[in-house]
Amino acid sequence: MSVGAAAASRAGRRAERSRRTRRRKLAGRTGWNIVGIAVTVVLVFPVFWMISTAFKSDDEILSGSWLPLHPTLQHFRSAIAGTDHPYFWDSVLNSLFVVGVTVALSMVLAFFAAVALAKYRFTGLKFFIVVMIGIQMLPQAGLIIPLYLVLRQYGMVGTLTGVVVTYMTFVLPFAVWTLRGFIVGIPRELEEAAMVDGSSRVGAFVRILLPLVAPGLVATSVFVFITSWNEFIFANVLLNNHAKQTITVWLSYFTGTSRNTDWGALMAASTLTAIPVVAFFILVQRKIAFGLTAGAVKG
Amino acid sequence: MKRRKFVAVGFVALAALVFAIAAGGVSGATKAKSITVWLQTDAQATNWQPIVAAANAQFQKDTGATANVQYQTWGTHLQKFDATLAGGNTPDVIEMGNTEMTKYMAAGAFQDLTADKASFPNSSTWLAGLAASGRYNGKVYGVPYYAGSRVITYRTDLFKKYGLKIPKSVAQFAAEGAKLISTNSKKGYSGLYVAGTDWYFAMSFVFDYGGNIATRVSGKWKGTLDTPKSIAGLTAYKNFFNAVSRASKTTDEAHPQPYDQYAANLAASVEGPAWFTCCVKKYTPVTAQFVMPSHVQGQVMPGFLGGSDLAIPVGADKSLGEAWIKAYTSTASQKALEAIGNIPNTTSLFNPKKVNERAALRSWFVPTAKNWVNVENQNILRNMLAEILTGKLTVKQAATAASDDVASILNASV
Amino acid sequence: MTSLPADTQIAAESSFRPARRRRLTRARLGRYAIPYLLILPVLAAIGAVLGYPVGYLINLSFQRYGLPELIQHTGEYIGLHNYYLVLHDSVFWNTLERTIVFTAANVGLTMGLGTLLALLLVRVSTWVRIPLTAGLVLVWSMPVVVAVQVWYWMTNFENGVLNAIFHLGQHDWYASTFSQLGVVTALIVWGALPFVVITLYAGLAQVPHELVEAAEIDGARPWRVLKDVTFPILKPIFLVLTSLSIIWDFGVFTQPYLLIGREHQYASNYLMGVYVYIKAYSDNDYGQGAAISILMLLIVAILSVFYVRKMVRIGDT
Repeated sequence: MSVGAAAASRAGRRAERSRRTRRRKLAGRTGWNIVGIAVTVVLVFPVFWMISTAFKSDDEILSGSWLPLHPTLQHFRSAIAGTDHPYFWDSVLNSLFVVGVTVALSMVLAFFAAVALAKYRFTGLKFFIVVMIGIQMLPQAGLIIPLYLVLRQYGMVGTLTGVVVTYMTFVLPFAVWTLRGFIVGIPRELEEAAMVDGSSRVGAFVRILLPLVAPGLVATSVFVFITSWNEFIFANVLLNNHAKQTITVWLSYFTGTSRNTDWGALMAASTLTAIPVVAFFILVQRKIAFGLTAGAVKG
Repeated sequence: MKRRKFVAVGFVALAALVFAIAAGGVSGATKAKSITVWLQTDAQATNWQPIVAAANAQFQKDTGATANVQYQTWGTHLQKFDATLAGGNTPDVIEMGNTEMTKYMAAGAFQDLTADKASFPNSSTWLAGLAASGRYNGKVYGVPYYAGSRVITYRTDLFKKYGLKIPKSVAQFAAEGAKLISTNSKKGYSGLYVAGTDWYFAMSFVFDYGGNIATRVSGKWKGTLDTPKSIAGLTAYKNFFNAVSRASKTTDEAHPQPYDQYAANLAASVEGPAWFTCCVKKYTPVTAQFVMPSHVQGQVMPGFLGGSDLAIPVGADKSLGEAWIKAYTSTASQKALEAIGNIPNTTSLFNPKKVNERAALRSWFVPTAKNWVNVENQNILRNMLAEILTGKLTVKQAATAASDDVASILNASV
Repeated sequence: MTSLPADTQIAAESSFRPARRRRLTRARLGRYAIPYLLILPVLAAIGAVLGYPVGYLINLSFQRYGLPELIQHTGEYIGLHNYYLVLHDSVFWNTLERTIVFTAANVGLTMGLGTLLALLLVRVSTWVRIPLTAGLVLVWSMPVVVAVQVWYWMTNFENGVLNAIFHLGQHDWYASTFSQLGVVTALIVWGALPFVVITLYAGLAQVPHELVEAAEIDGARPWRVLKDVTFPILKPIFLVLTSLSIIWDFGVFTQPYLLIGREHQYASNYLMGVYVYIKAYSDNDYGQGAAISILMLLIVAILSVFYVRKMVRIGDT
């Protein structure tokens, strides 16, 4: 067999194999799709239950019917506009402020610290990491009073700033630790290539690393967003003025009386509090998808 | 150099944080005199708000100061209170549940109001069962605010249909309850829905037979659940439960809510707070209430009295706090509270026609020990009831064990 | 054999000896300082807020501190007595053991299911990926307190929908400790999956596509591709998520406390997070609560030293 013919048959065999692979992939894909749909249904069921209850009439809630056959907006109305639960819009704005500042500041600070942890060797590195991990181990229950005392010293009790500062200390260790994991995953060849280009090490990080770590940054920022948005214990202890409270505190009043709970209104209120989170994710999710196609390493 | 630029960015971020802290608001003292009042969120109901507003207006007229009312939830307000106690910035007036008072009174959280007691409106006719929760070691620390009693909420149409009268004794009620169960074949249908570990109801039987949970004997607490009278009461409860209720023997009185059972036609009557009538949905026109009868014909069973007191924490402004409390517990204010279904703090306003007020006249209360809350938190009584009803232990065994536990918890010092 | 003259030898050797003292130029100092400057803001932010509380807790753990002491702002120093009481309390050891088992189950399920779902996300078509991701975000966005209410409803023995679906009649999901903690586990894993799945998916995005395709075309089965190509790149993220899951699940409080209910917390079903809360706010023994908090901190700090060494070594490859 001539070299050319051998090469051609090898190429032919490879093409045949990749065609077979593609066909196998397509059949497999349908199977995966079915699994995917099933998983989605099971996972989302409690959320579906919450939203459907928000629209059900009181009778339907009691009887436990699955779908609101006679949907009503009364629960939404009583949640937002009812005089029993004032300050809805204030709470939303306060939460947005707190979460916005927390996410922005913590991502910046955490990124720099994560770079230090991932790419540098320095004395105290391990100690710093142990501290980061250890801090997250402190049980919330134990921290309530001392944290309150500290913030009282700084004059931050009853202010949204105090809440931001508190949240920062909780999310920073986590954000630093997670981002470090993402950064460590980036191959070193890339930075070295960039440095050969003449840029400094930190400059290389920002130009090369940042886009590659973007999916990680997004995932972390979504987590910080959600954690801050849904945090209750400290927001409740630190904030007293109803006009300053956050959305989770507002929500707690639905189950806070010594009397009956208005389930319809509670579910409607909860559905509303979930909307900004979903909106934020929709805004940033494109970055994750980008990462998929941009994750290629040449060479 | 690029390196320095990024180091600079880091510093800017840090500076931004510092500036945000500085500029974001420091809570300072206000110039005008004002007090902070913590009321529970029950007072945020639409029909309750005018009463608070009227009290605030009255307070401003009397003293010239403003009252800043902040509403709290039952689940978290003590945690917040503890934090303010540690930080030294407590509210000036705080609403406490009557079962929450003892622990804090014993710890010295409140200011002594004994000397000024007579100056509070209607203090000579304060509802005894509620006022007791505001007293510790003979001193007055809490002003009764309002009370809530437990009654039987029942279906008038069903009672009429089967020719049943309002029972005058436990035995009569037991028979009627059994009859109601036999009329409805639905699984889990109760003549009277009583949750198995509803200790508020079960202990009523104990007190009805002359027993008690614990008594103080020469400075030490002695558990009395295992006395013959208490055991008679517990046995009576067990028999009554088995006759009329098909609720779970281990469930508590809030899961599920009895009024939900009632509204779903799974019970002909339910035992619980008088405000249950709010939530019986389509059975509202055929719903009425009566007071639980004693085992003694014609008498009323002592009921657990719920309610709230108003107290002034240490470090707060006593005179302004008292002025606000006086405005809020004035006769006019109490009348308004009564009109929306609460039991006022004074028997002088009682109306014999109101079922819930009649039930409040014969009541029992938990031992006024500073550790009582621990007994509740450790579910001693609930566990005892579950064991009795499921038959895991005999009444005597369960009662003796619980009695010992209660005594050791109450006598423990922390 | 001729040897070099002595003075030439010495000169030769000295040129190979590394210079001991190097000049401390500004550039060199700046380079050494960089990592410290990078972590400074985070350190400052955390230190300013948590420094005092940690010190306060340590201080408190050496005092007898109940509600009266809280009100008067002074406690009585009793040395290590609180630690003695805690470590000799069988409830502490039972709770610790229960929490370890609980954490292992939760983390195992979360990471296992999370990895499977992340891989699933890669393999499904876009029209399935979008609803699945959307579903995950919806789950993620539910506040914990609301999730607990909804889950409680679903598992309600009277009219809960779970009993209806599986035709279990009036099965009481909260009858035994195992069952109670089982439902709590399901709730926690359900709530934790979105973050793990999305983060792993983001990590998978960093796996170079060419490598995967090359391996597949070369005939490698999916399992080998996973093991040899995907997982090594995913490893740092995977380990980070595992460590975070362990930390969170070990100290979890809200879900067990609210789902099982305030009234049903017994020594037989305490988890560490609940135990600390009850010691501090129910029993009002702040001294013991602080001691338990510090013990929890130490346990994890000691364990994490080994873990951290390993993580740092991975970072160095």
